[in-house]
Amino acid sequence: MFDTVTSARALMGMSLAFHIVFAAVGIGLPLLFLIAEGIALRTGDEHYRQMARRWARTAAVLFAVGAVSGTLLSFEFGLLWPTWIEFSGGIIGFIFGLEGFAFFTEAIFLGLYIYGWDRLSPRAHWLCSIPIAVSSAISAFFVISTNGWMNQPTGFDVVDGKPVDVEPLAVMFNKAMPYEVTHGTLASYVAAGFAVAAVYAFAMLRGQRSDYNKKALVLALAVAAVFAPLQVVSGDLSARFLAHNQPEKFAALEGQFESEKGAPLRIGGWPDTGDKTTRFAIEIPKAASLLGFEDPDAEVRGLNSFPQDEIPDARLVHPWFQAMVAIGVFMALVVVWFFGLAWWRKRIDTGRLLLLAVIAAAPLAFLAIEAGWCLTEFGRQPWVIYHVMRTADGATPREGIAWILMLFALVYVALAAGLALLLFREQRQPLKPLAPLRGGPNVP
Amino acid sequence: MSLENLAAAVALVGLIAYAVFGGADFGGGVWTALASGRRAAEQREAIFRAMGPVWETNHVWLILVVVVLFTAFPPAFADLSTALLVPLVIALVGIVFRGAAFAFRHYGHVVEVGLPATNAVFSVASIITPLALGAAVATAASGNITIENGAVTSGLWEPWLQPFPIVCGLVAVAMCGFLTAYYMTTRASGELLEDFRMRGLIASLVLGALTTIALPVAYWDAEPFWDQVTDPVPLVVMGAAVAMGLASLVVLWRRWYLLAPPVAAGAVALVIGGFGAVQYPYLILPHERIADVAAGDSTLAAFLIALPIGALILIPSLVLLYVTFSEKTGGPSAEAEEYGY
Repeated sequence: MFDTVTSARALMGMSLAFHIVFAAVGIGLPLLFLIAEGIALRTGDEHYRQMARRWARTAAVLFAVGAVSGTLLSFEFGLLWPTWIEFSGGIIGFIFGLEGFAFFTEAIFLGLYIYGWDRLSPRAHWLCSIPIAVSSAISAFFVISTNGWMNQPTGFDVVDGKPVDVEPLAVMFNKAMPYEVTHGTLASYVAAGFAVAAVYAFAMLRGQRSDYNKKALVLALAVAAVFAPLQVVSGDLSARFLAHNQPEKFAALEGQFESEKGAPLRIGGWPDTGDKTTRFAIEIPKAASLLGFEDPDAEVRGLNSFPQDEIPDARLVHPWFQAMVAIGVFMALVVVWFFGLAWWRKRIDTGRLLLLAVIAAAPLAFLAIEAGWCLTEFGRQPWVIYHVMRTADGATPREGIAWILMLFALVYVALAAGLALLLFREQRQPLKPLAPLRGGPNVP
Repeated sequence: MSLENLAAAVALVGLIAYAVFGGADFGGGVWTALASGRRAAEQREAIFRAMGPVWETNHVWLILVVVVLFTAFPPAFADLSTALLVPLVIALVGIVFRGAAFAFRHYGHVVEVGLPATNAVFSVASIITPLALGAAVATAASGNITIENGAVTSGLWEPWLQPFPIVCGLVAVAMCGFLTAYYMTTRASGELLEDFRMRGLIASLVLGALTTIALPVAYWDAEPFWDQVTDPVPLVVMGAAVAMGLASLVVLWRRWYLLAPPVAAGAVALVIGGFGAVQYPYLILPHERIADVAAGDSTLAAFLIALPIGALILIPSLVLLYVTFSEKTGGPSAEAEEYGY
């Protein structure tokens, strides 16, 4: 059986891995139905109203799962990591307080949006989508900024092991915040865009090449197309930030064991922590130095140059990093391919291979989110708060956490199975004609 | 009022709001389980329609309470989490299944695909959650949690598997059913209204009986709690709770339905307020005082400044939500007509 710390980490990891999918959809999907209903309102095109309606009702069920799994997380801070929260609560807690208000706003306007189709005027109804999209992005900012603080803790002093003189703004605007928040939020829009696009790509692949499916595919991919290239830039900036500010994590994600001037970028490969070398990688000379420090001859510190009980396990960081980067590049290529071809041929081209690429990108987008989050978390180890508190020291003194781990594993399996069944069945439902917009532009 | 007392008051207000709003949603599960007679399906349907737009918002109050605790009183949050591990895990499983079952049921309704057993899961989860949460809150006031040198020494089971926490857990379930029945009287009409009136009257009697039993049980099982009950402030608040409870009986008996929701909410708020008054100035009786476990002043000040700013956005939005969806849910909604249910 796992010991307490391992069980607590596994349970926290499982809970976050589950929640992050719904959080990402909860951030990305509102932007999509905001745009779709906006187009419907402007042009009177019923198809876009159908889309907004369909996406919103899916958002409702996903948001609910996100809300309950997020509640679980807020309790797990105490149930699994009481020592950590006892230290951190007074420092980062107020950010969660602000996030609570953002969450409130999101829930309120989502309720209005989903249940208000026929109780609000079309314009008022569309306006409700704005606070949903904005507050979900603000929620992401708050939550991710606390993770930034765990990576770059600032804004407090420690006296007798207790935090004092907390400066809330310094805590929230920690050095890692801009990089992590941008990367995490953009990832949500990209993933939501591809997830929605894949549904329609799949329908088209099966021969349902209706106007409706085509419009929905283009709209969802357009959102992904705006954010996917930006995400590549944000990733590059994030890696450079790590090179300067969390060199252990940078070394682990590059698979760099020995300090080296003009370090190569390793593509693929397996970091062998026994022999302290990364095997089977394709090496691009000097590229890691160039990407990390804008200088091909800059020195990249290797993992061997740090105290060996203060470094992450490169085996849990380098592969995730590779997966994330590869998927990020793939997704950027897919949108360039799609819209490049459309521009070249002056019409939307939906060839079989292109549709398959879009469908593949959807699960990969979420895998990239999981991978990015894994590398952030594993890359910070053995610290829960970088250079302040070790993960093992933050855990609960309680025995038997492994039982709770198994219990929640079953809960998540049940939840995921129910949801999958529901969404699968829903997709097989035919479209139904909608009642005309009350007072909308298409009413004769 | 000192900053830490203000923060504790915010936690209590959050708990009351969770009980008054979120409690009614759990009560929806209680009455889904107990739906009976020729109109059983209608009763369930009316409850589901009333809850749909608001339950997630109502749920956020719980998160607010948790956040206030770990921000303003980190050591107490850590110790409560450690001491109450088992009931909190039970409540969390309930929260997850309740929310998921509700969302799945609504979604399944709209798209005309159902999942099996969503009603049953929703009902069971809606009952065990307030039971476990009520027991957990009561345990913190029972004196059953032991803390030595800053570390929790009581076991996983014995602090909360005791008469007083269990009775309080039952009180919490009864409160939820009570609130729902009272709220539904303004949203139902005809025979359905009579159903909810009868349920409201029964629930108020059950709630009255359970809260009355809770006092001798406290005397016998939760000495630190009992010692504090006899102070003047708790006595006054609890007296007011009793009066409000009696008023709620009269209101339904005389069919003054417009008064039913505020009176029911007031009774529940006073019961929990009285509980808070008993616990003051402790967070964990009799070990941790509010003042001893509070975070630093800069933290408390930042938090207490953020709250009213957030409330400026929150309160108008909440009003908009409740006003938009406050009408009777008896007839079919336009969406129901459109989707044919």
